[in-house]
Amino acid sequence: MKSPEEALAAARSRAAGAGGPAGPPLPEDPTAAAKRLARWAIIEPDEAAVYSTRRFGGPITAFKRVLIRLLRQYFVQVNAQQSRFNADVAAHVMRLEERVGELERRTGADEPGPGEDRASR
Amino acid sequence: MRVTQVLCAAGPVDAVTNQALAWRGLFDRWGWDGADFAATLAPDMRRAAIRPLRELQPADGEIVLIHYSGFARDLERVLDGSARTVLVSHNVTPPDYFWPYEPVEGVRCTLGREQLAQLAACADTLAGVSEYNARELGEATGREVAVIPVLFDRTGLGPVRDAAFGPPTILFVGRLAPHKRQDLVIRAFGEYRRWREDAELVLVGTPLSPSFGSQLRRLAAEVAPGAVTFETSLSASRLAERYRDADVFLCLSEHEGFCIPLLEAFHFGVPVIARDAGAVREVVGNAGVLLEAKDGVATIAELLDVVVEDQELRAELRARGEWRLEAYDYESTAERLRRTLEGRGA
Repeated sequence: MKSPEEALAAARSRAAGAGGPAGPPLPEDPTAAAKRLARWAIIEPDEAAVYSTRRFGGPITAFKRVLIRLLRQYFVQVNAQQSRFNADVAAHVMRLEERVGELERRTGADEPGPGEDRASR
Repeated sequence: MRVTQVLCAAGPVDAVTNQALAWRGLFDRWGWDGADFAATLAPDMRRAAIRPLRELQPADGEIVLIHYSGFARDLERVLDGSARTVLVSHNVTPPDYFWPYEPVEGVRCTLGREQLAQLAACADTLAGVSEYNARELGEATGREVAVIPVLFDRTGLGPVRDAAFGPPTILFVGRLAPHKRQDLVIRAFGEYRRWREDAELVLVGTPLSPSFGSQLRRLAAEVAPGAVTFETSLSASRLAERYRDADVFLCLSEHEGFCIPLLEAFHFGVPVIARDAGAVREVVGNAGVLLEAKDGVATIAELLDVVVEDQELRAELRARGEWRLEAYDYESTAERLRRTLEGRGA
C-alpha cells in the first residue's frame, strides 16, 4: 500500500458492517451533575493542602497551619456561610430538575401519536 | 525593542508556557528585552522565568503580547496602558465538553471565549497559532488575523528511532480530557488487541481531574486489562523515549487548536493516524491517515493493523512526515513572528 488514502479505504472495507461511528465520550448518568453539586455543596477545606512550595519551606508550612488553627473560629463561620449558600443553590437546582423532568414526562404523555391530532382525542 | 509577554496560566509542562519561553529565547537572540508574566502560576513553575501578573507595570513604547489560552481575571488591565498590544490566540476549547465531567472548567471556557472576544476588540494586532485559530478569531471579530505557527524546535528532541522491536505500541500524547477522546483511543485499541494480544497503548498526559483520570483507567481495565499505561509529567528525554518506542501515533481529538505532538511524532518517524478535526488537517497535511467522524472503532482498529503491518506504507508516512516538518521550519516561523511584532505583516 502506498498512500494514507489507500490504507483508510482498506481499513474501511475490512471493517464494513462491524458497527457504526464512534459514540459520545464516556457515558454519564444524567443526574450526575446535580449529585456532584450536592456533594460539593458542603465545603471542607483540607488542612493538608496548606503548604509552602518554596525550597526548605517546612517552617513556612508549619507557620501557615498554626495561623489556620488560631483563626479557626473565623474560618468555621466563613465555611458555614459558604456551605449554606452552596446547599441552597444545589437544592434549588435539584428541585428545578425534578420540575423539568415532570414537565417533560407530562409533555411526552400528551404528545399525539403518528397520524393522530390532539383535537380528535 | 521591548516585548512583555502575558500568559493566562503558566506551568512546567504547559505547551503555551513552553511556546512563550521559546519566543523569549528568540527575543534575547534579536537583542530585544522584556519580561514574562502569568495570571496563574503552577506551584512548581520557576518564578525566575515567569512572574505573577500583579507585578506587571506596562511601559510606554513596549509591545505587550498576550498568549490567550483561557479565562484569567483582570487580564483586561494590561490593555489599559499606552503600549501596543498583540493578542495571540492558542484557542479555547468549547465548554460543552466539560459540563458532565468538570463544570468549573466549563465555566472557565465559557468565560474564556467571551474574554477572548473582548480582548480582541481592543488589541492592536491579532494572531492565531494556526489557520483554524485565526479563522475562528477573524469570524468573531470581523478583523484581519495573522497566523504565527507554533515555533517547533527539533534540535532538542534527540535522534529518531532506528528500527522497531517488541510488541506493537500505540501512543497518544495530550491532556487527559473529554475533547481529546482518549476513551475512544482505548476502545479502538481494545478492538485492535483482539488480534494482537501483545499490543500496548501508552497515554501520556495530565488528567483534567482525578475523577476523569480514574474513569479512563477503569475503562482501560475493562477493555484492555494490563495493556494500557498512563503517564504524566515526563521529562523531555523520557517523552522522546515514548515516541521512539511507538509504532503508531493515534490522535482522535475532536478539538485541537494546533497539536504539537503531531509534529513530534513526525520528527520521531512515527506514522500518524488522526481524526480530521480542528487544526489537525492543517498540521498533518497529507503526511498521516486522516479519519472522518463517520469512522468507528472497528475502522480505527483495522487501520491500526494496516499501519503497523504494512512496511511500505510506514516508510511512505515517515517520508511524508519528514517533508511536512519543512512547513514548520524554525527559522521561517521565527521570521514570521518577527515581521508580525515589527508590524510588517506575517
